[in-house]
Amino acid sequence: MKSNFLFYNPTGFFGLFKREVKRFMKVYIQTLLAPLLSNMLFLGVFGGMLKTRQVGIEGVDYLHFLVPGLSAMGAIFAGFQNPSFSIIVQKYSDTLKDLNSYPLSNFEKTLAFVLGGTVRGTLIGILTYIATIPFVGYSINNPLIFFGMLIVLSFIFSSLGVTVGLVLNNFEKMNFLLAIILTPLAYFGGVFFEVSQLPGILSKIIIANPLYPLINMVRFGYLGVHEGSIAIQSIFISIMSFITFFIAFLLLKKGVGLRN
Amino acid sequence: MLEIKNLSKTYKKGNVKALDNVSLSINEGEFVALLGQNGAGKSTLINILAGNVTKDNGTVIVGDYNLDKNELETKKILGIVPQEITFDFVFSVGEILKNQSLYFGIKENQKYIDELLATLSLSEKKDAKSRGLSGGMKRRLLIAKALVHRPKLLILDEPTAGVDIELRRSLYDFLNQLHQQGTTIILTTHYLEEAEKLCDRIIIINEGKIIADDSKNKLMDTLGNEAMVELNFDNKKELSDFHFLTSYSPVMKNSKTLQMKASKQNIADIFYRISSNKVKFSNFKIEPQKLEDVFLTLINDESNK
Repeated sequence: MKSNFLFYNPTGFFGLFKREVKRFMKVYIQTLLAPLLSNMLFLGVFGGMLKTRQVGIEGVDYLHFLVPGLSAMGAIFAGFQNPSFSIIVQKYSDTLKDLNSYPLSNFEKTLAFVLGGTVRGTLIGILTYIATIPFVGYSINNPLIFFGMLIVLSFIFSSLGVTVGLVLNNFEKMNFLLAIILTPLAYFGGVFFEVSQLPGILSKIIIANPLYPLINMVRFGYLGVHEGSIAIQSIFISIMSFITFFIAFLLLKKGVGLRN
Repeated sequence: MLEIKNLSKTYKKGNVKALDNVSLSINEGEFVALLGQNGAGKSTLINILAGNVTKDNGTVIVGDYNLDKNELETKKILGIVPQEITFDFVFSVGEILKNQSLYFGIKENQKYIDELLATLSLSEKKDAKSRGLSGGMKRRLLIAKALVHRPKLLILDEPTAGVDIELRRSLYDFLNQLHQQGTTIILTTHYLEEAEKLCDRIIIINEGKIIADDSKNKLMDTLGNEAMVELNFDNKKELSDFHFLTSYSPVMKNSKTLQMKASKQNIADIFYRISSNKVKFSNFKIEPQKLEDVFLTLINDESNK
């Protein structure tokens, strides 16, 4: 076991990360294909119905507008669900406490769970993009920002997933949280329409939605056009990445859901 | 190998004092039984070592490492077989052991994993999912999981609970083999004959306190000093026929069998009195106390305090 300045047990960290990736790959129909299919249904239904109306950024075809939104939404949900589901399942099977007996630092454990979710979120985002190529073509304005933002988005929501998994102890509460908070935030965060097109005060309220700058940045990478200040949104995203990871790390360090 | 000083734990829920100032020291190579009734504090002690429960007070040294200062180093020394059978159900037996090796920082461990699987008769189940295994196989897999990183100190929390006699025996052989190879073992069990058979040293814990800690032989000599003397007769007898043994409070087990308890030093006196009173017996049996009797005596004594 060779330690370095960041990792006490790099092999162990990699093992835990690998397990988190293998876990969702083993049930890929449920974890990858189902959300991909639902994204394609969104593309078919909304894209087909609204392609002639101006709901996206002016001058941009609605299908093109929708693709980055769906990729971002897929990454958000998959990133969140991977660690939260994994941790709660392990609570049910009483294997989560095994984590306490491994010679792994809290940073390594947190990062392994978060990166597992990041991989799944990014994969969904990329698969959504690939699946839309036959309908809208493959051109991306800035692939580095588009794919980079999918990774960052998945990282943030995977960190939130770790937090939720540690704090909650059953699927009912997790699904409730998903349905009552995350889904409305995503739907009103600019996945399906341009936020500034909303009437009056509603557009101002929705700009306060934390998902709005994240989805907007993914769209910026894909289309090259955006709403609001890129600089402010980048700073917000950086702070959000750090804070969400740090909260997950602190909870794990404190032993929430792990230690008596 | 393990040094515990003034260890205390009170669970806030219900204000239960699970461990009350427990101190003990276990040397390298020992095979120790940790005995106690349900709720005595055994599992709390093990869970503190495993990191599942946070202690309130006290010091724990595993090998050369203090649990408070070098917790991760202590993990490498410890192998813990928990009481509950739990596995990552999406993975196969082989994958579970491979993952476990990686968590302990071992990249190449397939040879040892195969060895463990063979020794624990699990080779054929290497590719099977853990939930498809029988209860006995799951127990063996738990043991294999705790051993993949070759721990110096193995702690088994009731490893034979609900296990059939044949498997129990094969586990005893395996544990003996591990012990002979130099592994220090702590075993908690409800089967006291298991502790009597396997362990050199017995620690008894009751209501969070250690009430006995000695070598098995010494414990049996000092606390297990009584023996059951049984005499068999060819003809029917009455209790009054044995008036000369009244001081030993004999009882008639049946019309031809007399039983009494006596200290080992007094056994000769019993036979002397029988012989002096010209009573003939056809057979006799002297049964020394078992660990179970010693355990119950100690627990009852503590409860009556």
